[in-house]
Amino acid sequence: MENLHLFGAALGLGMIVIGAGLAIGKFAAAAAESIARQPSAADKITGAVNLPLFLLEGATILAEVFVLLIVFS
Amino acid sequence: MQQPEAHSDHGTEHGASHGEEGFNAGEVIIDHVANSSPDHPILHLPSIAGVDLSISKHVLMLWIVATIVFTTITWTTRRYLKQKRPIPTGFMIMIEWLVQAVRDSIVRPNVGGKYVMTWAPLILTFFCFIVVANGIGLIPIFEVVGLIDHYLLHTGEHSFLKRLIHGGTTATANYNVTAALAVITFFAIIIAGTKAHGFVQHWKNLVPSGLPKFVYVILIPIELMGMVVKPFALTMRLAANMMGGHIAILAILSFVFLFYELFQSAIVGVGVGVALSIPLAVGISTLEILVILVQAYVFTLLTAVFIGMAINVHH
Repeated sequence: MENLHLFGAALGLGMIVIGAGLAIGKFAAAAAESIARQPSAADKITGAVNLPLFLLEGATILAEVFVLLIVFS
Repeated sequence: MQQPEAHSDHGTEHGASHGEEGFNAGEVIIDHVANSSPDHPILHLPSIAGVDLSISKHVLMLWIVATIVFTTITWTTRRYLKQKRPIPTGFMIMIEWLVQAVRDSIVRPNVGGKYVMTWAPLILTFFCFIVVANGIGLIPIFEVVGLIDHYLLHTGEHSFLKRLIHGGTTATANYNVTAALAVITFFAIIIAGTKAHGFVQHWKNLVPSGLPKFVYVILIPIELMGMVVKPFALTMRLAANMMGGHIAILAILSFVFLFYELFQSAIVGVGVGVALSIPLAVGISTLEILVILVQAYVFTLLTAVFIGMAINVHH
């Protein structure tokens, strides 16, 4: 029973990956769709997708850091 | 982190046969990634006002990075300015391209035309410093010193060279380093807002005007929290990304030693290394090169976006 925190950390890591994967998939799908619809605006679409993608990445990394803190503390 | 425990158990089983202590993957990896311990820095210096000024390995890397960036860029620019005909050659072409790319694709769209030349220098400095600091961690300079020491010099456990070997780390994988960079961003945001709108107006701009009073009760704490959360997210993103990549590479490379311990044969260890560890480590290193550039880009882009948010207020 004393290693339950590792169980929680592993579960949390899995859930982070599911969430981040879904989000990145949605980003990629939306970007590909809109570029296919309007290829001339590809640069602008990439720029618009980049920023929220990095914010998403920041949230994911933060969650992973907290999981690492659970494991190491 | 069950792995090392399991193997240290295994090590005691077979420990009697070859008399070595088990390989602790977690400890080795953390030792490689983390800063040197306060008791054994590279160079002991007295502490002033409670601040320990000893040179640890990340401090050493920071100074190396600063020297590289400063000398290469000032030397190249000076040489270019001394030319009779101002045609950029060699490395100067790259610097010009970099400056133009950062100014025109990162700073100008976010900060706006009026303040481009005010904030481009800061953001360029961030970019150059972070790229070099991230990249230098992937170059095993000090491991060569370690090899020479191991085979030729045979110095003691805590000698100067032994401590120097561990200098080859990424300084930006330390939260304190990235926190310092993010603190600069924090003040840059306030200064940008103050320069554009005046000190009082900058703080008023944090919340939109003309809302019902009870909304402000919720909004003002959220905005004040946001001021701190922005640099915090920058700190964590950069440090965790750099640390994560290195931990992944080291974990994959430590398979060699784990399998050697598991089967007690060097051939299995080397076989796992050649078949699995080295191809995977090369793949992750390639990914790391991309991550290095993307993280430097993200840090500078987000700094530009935050500065732009303080200057171009849309309320």
